[in-house]
Amino acid sequence: FTDVLESTPGLSPPGKPTLTGCRSPEKETFTCWWEPGPDGGLPTNYSLYYSKENSDVLECPDYHTAGKNSCFFNKNNTSLWVNYNITVAATNALGRNVSDPVDVDVVYIVQPHRPENVTVAVHAVDGDDPFLLVRWEPPRKADTRSGWITLVYELRVKLEKEETWEEHFAGQQKQFNIFSPPSGEVYMVQVRCKPDHGFWSEWSSTSYVKVPDYIHRERSMWIL
Amino acid sequence: LCLVSRYHAAGLGDLLDRASQLSDKLHSLSTSLTNELDTHFPPMGKILMPRPSMCHTASLQTPHDKDQALRVPESELLSLARALLLSWNDPLLLLSAEAPSLSHPHNGAIYSKTRELQDQSNNLSSGLDRLVHKIGTSSKSLSPLPFKGGDLGGDKNSRLINFYFLLSCFRRDSHKIDNFLKLLRCRAAKQDIC
Repeated sequence: FTDVLESTPGLSPPGKPTLTGCRSPEKETFTCWWEPGPDGGLPTNYSLYYSKENSDVLECPDYHTAGKNSCFFNKNNTSLWVNYNITVAATNALGRNVSDPVDVDVVYIVQPHRPENVTVAVHAVDGDDPFLLVRWEPPRKADTRSGWITLVYELRVKLEKEETWEEHFAGQQKQFNIFSPPSGEVYMVQVRCKPDHGFWSEWSSTSYVKVPDYIHRERSMWIL
Repeated sequence: LCLVSRYHAAGLGDLLDRASQLSDKLHSLSTSLTNELDTHFPPMGKILMPRPSMCHTASLQTPHDKDQALRVPESELLSLARALLLSWNDPLLLLSAEAPSLSHPHNGAIYSKTRELQDQSNNLSSGLDRLVHKIGTSSKSLSPLPFKGGDLGGDKNSRLINFYFLLSCFRRDSHKIDNFLKLLRCRAAKQDIC
């Protein structure tokens, strides 16, 4: 059968797959992704293999949870402070090709999910200009309560009609006040988070707020 | 009594807060030092480097995930952090002694960062001594692990590689220390910051 395939023009063993990256959102699980090489015109199977320092080679425990071309390591399969040596093998009827190996220590690939439940409220106290109170929650899966992971936050705001964002660092706080928002305008707010040693999350989805027309109101009072 | 215990708790919280700031800094410094070395590191260097299991602290049993870490009693977590840190006294000394003659274009910056590592590590270790007084010693007494490599080797490449290797071991250990201290900080602070 292989002889027939080999003599068929255009068919070949698979190209070399590439491990594109690994990410742990909460220092408790992680996922690695790969990019297939050319398939050689034949159905091609991909397998991910890993070995921890001084341990046997094992195959990926879960190809499904994290989607196509990925391997998910759940809590039981995730250890910290140990190198995982990872490779991906592509196999078709004509042969096999293995990716370059990648060494991963989970503590160096931590990138949390985005913060959740971002809300913006207008706070108006009699006589003072209103201010915006932005609140958010850490990503659900990140265990910040036990101190297992420590997150700092950054928010960015912009007027709907403008192009450039203005960024504010919030530290470990889960709320931030924006004073003197432009009267009568629509404001957009996003929040992202970063672990103490790791990478920034994506920005949260945008929360909108309409700032009341407070300067206009003051002026009309002046006229009165 | 209520006042006394609240005062005690506040003192412990402050100490742990300060200690975790130092351990955070220590780990960040080791990362920045690694990045500095990476700018001019022989491509074969990482392949020739000893495996992490060769680190002199590798035999110290530490938790490997969150569930394990959360089960460790406070005094033992502190002992672990302290044993790890003290195991680095001699190797950090070696790193800063060797940095000025390292065959690397940034050895000046590398030297000043290794000195800073030493200073921060000394500050942290006196902080941990105070914490041991407050929290108590663990029933499992842990001693620092001896460091046997007295020098980094003869030729300039193996010196660079061994320097990098030691640093990568320290980077891992300083991350553990930082992680353990931040767990302790949250246990002491309860809901305050965490």
